[in-house]
Amino acid sequence: MKVKRIAWISISVLVLLSMVLSGCQPGSKTVVVTEAQGPAVEPTAEPTEAPPAEKKVVTFIWTQEFDTLNTLYTNMWFVTVLYPIYECQAWWFDDKNEPLPNLVSEIPSLENGGISEDGRTITMKLRDDIVWSDGTPITSADFKFTYDMAMADSNAVSSRSPFDLVESLQTPDERTVAVTFKELYAPWLSRLFSGQSGAAILPEHILKPVFDAAGTLDTAEWSKKPTVGCGPFVFEEWQSGSFARFVANDKYWLGRPKVDELFFRFVPDDASMIAALVAGDGDVGTFFAYSDLPQLEAAGLKILNSFSGYNEGWYFNQHPEKGNPAMRDVKVRQAIALAFNREKLVKDLLLGRTGVPATDWDNSPWVEPSLKPWPYDPERAKKLLEEAGWVDSNGDGTRDKDGVELVLKYGTTNREVRQDTQAVAQQDLAQVGIKLDLQSFDSDTFFASYSENGPSANFSLDIIEYSDSPDFPDPNAVVWLCSEIPSDENPAGVSPTGLCDQELDSLFQKQSKQVDFTERQQTMYQITKRLYEQVFWLGLWEDPDLFGFSNRLQNVKISGATPFFNVSEWTLTK
Amino acid sequence: MTRYIIRRLLQAFPLLFIISLVLFILMNNMGDPLATMGGRRVTRKEDRIRLARQLGLDKPVMIQYVYWLAGNDWTKTDMDGDGVAETPGVRKGVLRGDWGISLVNRKLVTEVIGERLPNTLLLMVTAEVVVLVSALLIGIYSALHQYSLVDNTITAITFIMYSMPVFFFALLTMYIFAVNFKKWGLPYLPTVGMFEPEAGQTFSQVVWHMVLPTATLSFGYIAGYSRYIRSTMLEAMGQDYIRTAKAKGLPRRQIVYLHALKNAALPIVTIIALDLPFLLGGAIVTERIFGWPGTGRLFLDHVSRSDTPVVMGILMMIAVAVIVFQIIADVAYAWLDPRIRYK
Repeated sequence: MKVKRIAWISISVLVLLSMVLSGCQPGSKTVVVTEAQGPAVEPTAEPTEAPPAEKKVVTFIWTQEFDTLNTLYTNMWFVTVLYPIYECQAWWFDDKNEPLPNLVSEIPSLENGGISEDGRTITMKLRDDIVWSDGTPITSADFKFTYDMAMADSNAVSSRSPFDLVESLQTPDERTVAVTFKELYAPWLSRLFSGQSGAAILPEHILKPVFDAAGTLDTAEWSKKPTVGCGPFVFEEWQSGSFARFVANDKYWLGRPKVDELFFRFVPDDASMIAALVAGDGDVGTFFAYSDLPQLEAAGLKILNSFSGYNEGWYFNQHPEKGNPAMRDVKVRQAIALAFNREKLVKDLLLGRTGVPATDWDNSPWVEPSLKPWPYDPERAKKLLEEAGWVDSNGDGTRDKDGVELVLKYGTTNREVRQDTQAVAQQDLAQVGIKLDLQSFDSDTFFASYSENGPSANFSLDIIEYSDSPDFPDPNAVVWLCSEIPSDENPAGVSPTGLCDQELDSLFQKQSKQVDFTERQQTMYQITKRLYEQVFWLGLWEDPDLFGFSNRLQNVKISGATPFFNVSEWTLTK
Repeated sequence: MTRYIIRRLLQAFPLLFIISLVLFILMNNMGDPLATMGGRRVTRKEDRIRLARQLGLDKPVMIQYVYWLAGNDWTKTDMDGDGVAETPGVRKGVLRGDWGISLVNRKLVTEVIGERLPNTLLLMVTAEVVVLVSALLIGIYSALHQYSLVDNTITAITFIMYSMPVFFFALLTMYIFAVNFKKWGLPYLPTVGMFEPEAGQTFSQVVWHMVLPTATLSFGYIAGYSRYIRSTMLEAMGQDYIRTAKAKGLPRRQIVYLHALKNAALPIVTIIALDLPFLLGGAIVTERIFGWPGTGRLFLDHVSRSDTPVVMGILMMIAVAVIVFQIIADVAYAWLDPRIRYK
């Protein structure tokens, strides 16, 4: 009986508690009655002050929390994409991916003397009106400091590119920065204090004392609280696991932004992001699955598709010793290209919202114009395989040659869209007698290095699939160089194919030193044509960045290289 | 008893050493932290070589373990990549309180974990209290009303709840109490985070946001614990000493709580003591689903990036807690049952 009474009391307490909590529920309005203080005052005819305007806040729904806000240490796209928001760089890139001056007064060129005659020295002239958010002028010393910090051995920065190619960085005066490369370096425009792959500027007056005291910037408090910045917005607050806030920078030299605050809400997964955007709890989201787009558009969101150089594709193992010999036969590779119906794959899995690339440089001026994606032609594929000597002599549905079955190991990460792609590819290629052995891995396992026996680096797979980009908007890429083939002597090499094609190697080396656009373009035409004809790489789908914006956001433009380049011009309708 | 406790504590050191060694070796074989350091791109060769050197990842696993444990300020490291070790190390090692820095963001491990630990303790301790109180009430009631309609209903419900996966329960409660309640115009529960950022981290906000995660964490344990308590209570209530107590005319409350429950609680003490350390590690699935910023979600985020220092920090924290709480359980056992004496 006593137990029963205790149980009923407990239940009653729980019910009362829930009633109290429902009264505390966010959104419930509390009516406050104020008593009149003193005698009533006659209303005057004078106009009263207008109530302060409501703060204009744009809410971003981010599925990945920042790792750090220090440009030299971050590894995350979810941070580098914010450079135009809270950082400053020499220039941004606009929606046509043309350079747009930010810290510099004009883009360096041969005509204005910004590029030296030998092409190795890039001289940047800084604007006179650039200041940090605390009013301290931005000078060439900040550029030098950033370079020094990137190159300091005690700083475990995420990347030293392109500073490790620099011979010297001179600052003859406060408004001039002269960077001399060891050799001609054509990709400087997309990497030298610019772009998502390049560094933003660090405040010397804030961080030099930190470095001098600790000997390193690795553990600097500023990396998670960069309260002095130089972007249109300044960092305000970051609650780990919850949210971060950036407020408008009144001292921004290109004009104070039209919105007051950018609010970043960290959610655990894509489903939460979609729910928040559909419910109107967020204004900006990204990295959607294509299957979510109809729901987002039905909820009134604008979807902007921004090509940033990434293409999903297959890399075929060309290692002379470790690869399957079948993959080194161009007829087999061409047959694979003809047998895999990628148009249908894109239509079914990606709802036709993107295209099939012919090369990894599609949607840029660097692709030979006649190149179109390999068509779907299984009959031609079968003919090529027969010409290469692959026939199904034992009637098991899989072709063979000299007693060896044509079974190819195909690996990728375990993202859902890739799992689906594997299944489709297996079916398509089975129609022409090629059997695919499917394997999938976690990302950090898949992309582990040669010394860690990573599957994408040890040439144990015949086909590997992932999405990569050249140094967009620059066409430079190093993965096709012979010097990048991983081995016991060179375990950190990044070549995914093990290909050492002398023609390609020399063409890639040549283009990286060609400063003249037309000459470089011609070299790239040769490169793209060779890669296409030899099918060393097969494009599956163009992989643009998808952004969703609520319909109350206006004036939004997106750049492939620096997506939020015009954030200070965004406005809110309500 | 004091000698017993001291002996157990001394035995803990070699045990922790073995645990740390095994975990460290396992973590180093679970992926390459440098693989994802290029961000969306594959890590550049030059950066991979340099970062391996700067972060000490180019050393053999056992050397890395020694540096993790005892630091490297007693030796020199090659920071400039010329093959000559000229720079004194800066790490003091775990034995001197330096848990290292995160490979993901270079923050101090203690800072990374310390930011999330209070959030986890808040959620897990609340869930544990709810579990204990509810399980005791339900278990005792069921035992005292064996085979009644209420007891049979409770039995059915607990079996269903015990069988239900945590994620399914979480998604079900989200669907009912968040999505549908909102649709029906009823007060609805939030599903993400600890508080609404616009409202700030107030008491009512946090409590409101805790309802669904706490319920998700509790339901399975309530089901399991209540069955244990029911079973042990039934056994205790059937003992001769209880019949004697009843014959002597002791009040029912005294019989149930003083005599029966005290003996029935012994196995529960062990189970609870084994569960308590895992409060520190958080609930990975629940925190992930509800976006609760705790150590469970931290663990998931950092293990997927092979961030050995942070993962070791969390795992060793749990290992120490397991050992300490086991000792506490043994002491509590002895207090509950005077027949038990440790030498």
